[in-house]
Amino acid sequence: MSDDHIVKSYDEELHIINDAIVQMGSLTESLLEDSMNAITKMDKDSVSKIVESDKKINKFRASIDEQIMTLLVKRSPVAIDLRLAISTLKISQDLERIGDLAKGNAKKILPLPEDDLPPEMLNSMRRLGEAVQKQIKLSLDSYLERSTEKAIQVVKDDEQVNDLTKISIKEVLDFLAKDKKNLEFATNLLFVSKNLERAGDHITRIAENVYYLISGDYPKKNK
Amino acid sequence: MELNMNREAKVISKNVDVFYGNKQALFDINLEIFKNEVTALIGPSGCGKSTFLRCINRMNDVIDICKISGEIEIDGFNIYKQGVDVVRLREKVGMVFQKPNPFPKSIYDNIAYGPNIHGIAQNKQELDEIVENSLKKAALWNEVKDRLNEPGTGLSGGQQQRLCIARAISINPEIILMDEPCSALDPIATAKIEELIDSLKSSYTIVIVTHSMAQAARVSQRTGFFHLGKLIEMDETDKIFKNPNNKMTQDYITGRFG
Ligand SMILES: Nc1ncnc2c1ncn2[C@@H]1O[C@H](COP(=O)(O)OP(=O)(O)O)[C@@H](O)[C@H]1O
Ligand SMILES: [Mg+2]
Repeated sequence: MSDDHIVKSYDEELHIINDAIVQMGSLTESLLEDSMNAITKMDKDSVSKIVESDKKINKFRASIDEQIMTLLVKRSPVAIDLRLAISTLKISQDLERIGDLAKGNAKKILPLPEDDLPPEMLNSMRRLGEAVQKQIKLSLDSYLERSTEKAIQVVKDDEQVNDLTKISIKEVLDFLAKDKKNLEFATNLLFVSKNLERAGDHITRIAENVYYLISGDYPKKNK
Repeated sequence: MELNMNREAKVISKNVDVFYGNKQALFDINLEIFKNEVTALIGPSGCGKSTFLRCINRMNDVIDICKISGEIEIDGFNIYKQGVDVVRLREKVGMVFQKPNPFPKSIYDNIAYGPNIHGIAQNKQELDEIVENSLKKAALWNEVKDRLNEPGTGLSGGQQQRLCIARAISINPEIILMDEPCSALDPIATAKIEELIDSLKSSYTIVIVTHSMAQAARVSQRTGFFHLGKLIEMDETDKIFKNPNNKMTQDYITGRFG
């Protein structure tokens, strides 16, 4: 972030907002990791901790909203400062949604059996989770480093997340096909896969907003 | 954003250099000002905004040490060509200054003065109409219609500035230049002038120098940023305030240097 506004407190306010996003981002990244661990290891004890840290993320969102409002009122930001305000508002919203989805996923394991889930299915879900985790890390790096290259990479990587989601869903359906008794479990696991794909969409949006923050434009969709 | 699709350049500045004695105040200014739009000029004090504004109605001619080269075209005609009637030019290009400067005369006479000396009105009745219409266009009529014979200097600052705008309008100009017209006014009076500027642009081409970024963003369609006598960037106002091309423009409008 470039410094030296004539008004020093303006710089400080922008710094605080920037740092809040970085912290909220790393909290969300950890939450996503904890949630994937809970799912792939069927670690039901960790769920309550996950629920708690999701609450923290929600608080960040509320506090960032408030700070941006104050910034708009006090500073009437323009150009790069205006883009920071607007994109930060959107990024914090997406981070909050990612937190919600990760928390929701962790809670979905509560009714599941601890062991007899097929390892191929858990593996494909783990691979999907890893792709999403890689994506959020890159997305947060793109923000921290103000890197359009990384932001574009995140947008490109979304395709892979979508592919892995399809594979994961297919594994869950195979599991369901083996025994209709698995219906309830399978439904939960379908939600988990779908939620991971959605988290990927939010992460992609974050990267698009980082790109906008830096360049004043949105990345071209090259489908 | 409302954008006039078939824009027509009303004023074109070509390679304009201005010197005060040995000191160069403007360097190779090239720009276009579009008809029926508001163009804002911004930049730090002393960067040459007022100097450029005064080039458009040849007000710099009255400053002895001031030398201008290059061309200013209005409607395709170079106003610095030999034999140009400067009085006629200043009829066409009116000016409003930072500090409201009504004549020490009645409200009526403030407006009637220009049409009289320019021979615009044929008789008293026509003059009355011009006064009324000018004050109406300047959104001042309702406030002063019952006291036209009172001195213009007795009005509030904001009213005085609208009186000066009415005075500028009274001689049917095509272009109105405004040099920081609101810098001496409170927010309400400023809002009234801004509202007025907005309503005037359908009939006139307006160039406004302002120190308020927010005002430039509110009233203008295009904005030019000057720095140390050079035009650094000129573009759609929207673009300038969301995503300027030039780093120096960005640093200035975001308050990163003064
Ligand atoms: N009448 C004058 N005589 C000499 N120098 C002048 C005169 N008017 C302006 N200047 C100089 O020209 C430069 C541009 O001034 P000006 O056009 O008034 O800038 P701005 O309107 O952007 O504040 C400044 O350096 C100023 O000192
Ligand atoms: Mg000036």
